[in-house]
Amino acid sequence: MSTSKPSGRRRAASVISVIGELLITGGLVLALFVVYSLWWTNVLADRHAAKASQKVRQQWAQDGGGNNGTPALGLDTKDGIGFLHVPAMGRNYQVLVKKGTSTKVLNEGVAGYYTDPTPAAMPWDKTGNFTLAAHRDGHGAKFHNINKIHTGDAVVFESKDTWYVYKVYKVLDQTSKYDVAVTDQVPKESGRTKPGRYITLTTCTPVYTSRYRYVVWGELVRTQKVDAQRTPPPELR
Amino acid sequence: MYGWIWRHLPGNAWVRALISLVLALIVVYVLFQYVFPWAEPLLPFNDVTVDNGMAAVR
Repeated sequence: MSTSKPSGRRRAASVISVIGELLITGGLVLALFVVYSLWWTNVLADRHAAKASQKVRQQWAQDGGGNNGTPALGLDTKDGIGFLHVPAMGRNYQVLVKKGTSTKVLNEGVAGYYTDPTPAAMPWDKTGNFTLAAHRDGHGAKFHNINKIHTGDAVVFESKDTWYVYKVYKVLDQTSKYDVAVTDQVPKESGRTKPGRYITLTTCTPVYTSRYRYVVWGELVRTQKVDAQRTPPPELR
Repeated sequence: MYGWIWRHLPGNAWVRALISLVLALIVVYVLFQYVFPWAEPLLPFNDVTVDNGMAAVR
């Protein structure tokens, strides 16, 4: 377009073309945001989580294997307390578990245990509910496949010296995001009324949104000491 | 808008194309590095915890 004589018509045309270009640009930025949310945050989080996981494993190895007599519980709240294994979400699925469910913690591509509003019990506590949250999409998307977990599936938590084997007994595929009762120490919504050793996984649903929460409950079946080779329990083989 | 930028870039078409590419990459970098991380928590796409409606202040 030459700038010889900007007639009214030409002016209008150029204004419209600028608006059009801005709209296209906006669309591209939104598309880039999708790429960012669903891909790039995973790259960053997985990188971060892999490093953090390695650090925890190295620390455990340095402290000397599993059963060295001391009742080391592996409670290192800064670096992570252990790993969650869920065979239903993949054969080698494992995710580092850290303290807290703040955005900052969960964005590191880990699962966080609740400190608020109801603090989680630890797996080694006599009774209580070990409540966890992780991202469904982006930032590692560690609970992306939570819908593949069914009643009866095993969920295993690995601490420094013990495998805690849980069995899923209830899945709630949609609940309000304000439904804090699902993380109660005795999760009555799951049908249990007595104190026990429970595990609760929460994430958002449906995928790519945060409208509702997805909840999976399990209870402890048995524990197994970690041996020197860290042989996984039969549920993970 | 883009036509205006193109006309104000120096050099021949190849040089301009190269500069345009670099500019586009800079924009993408700024978006991924600064704008999106800032915007993401403000958007209701990735809240995974149950809470009392206090997520915004945590």
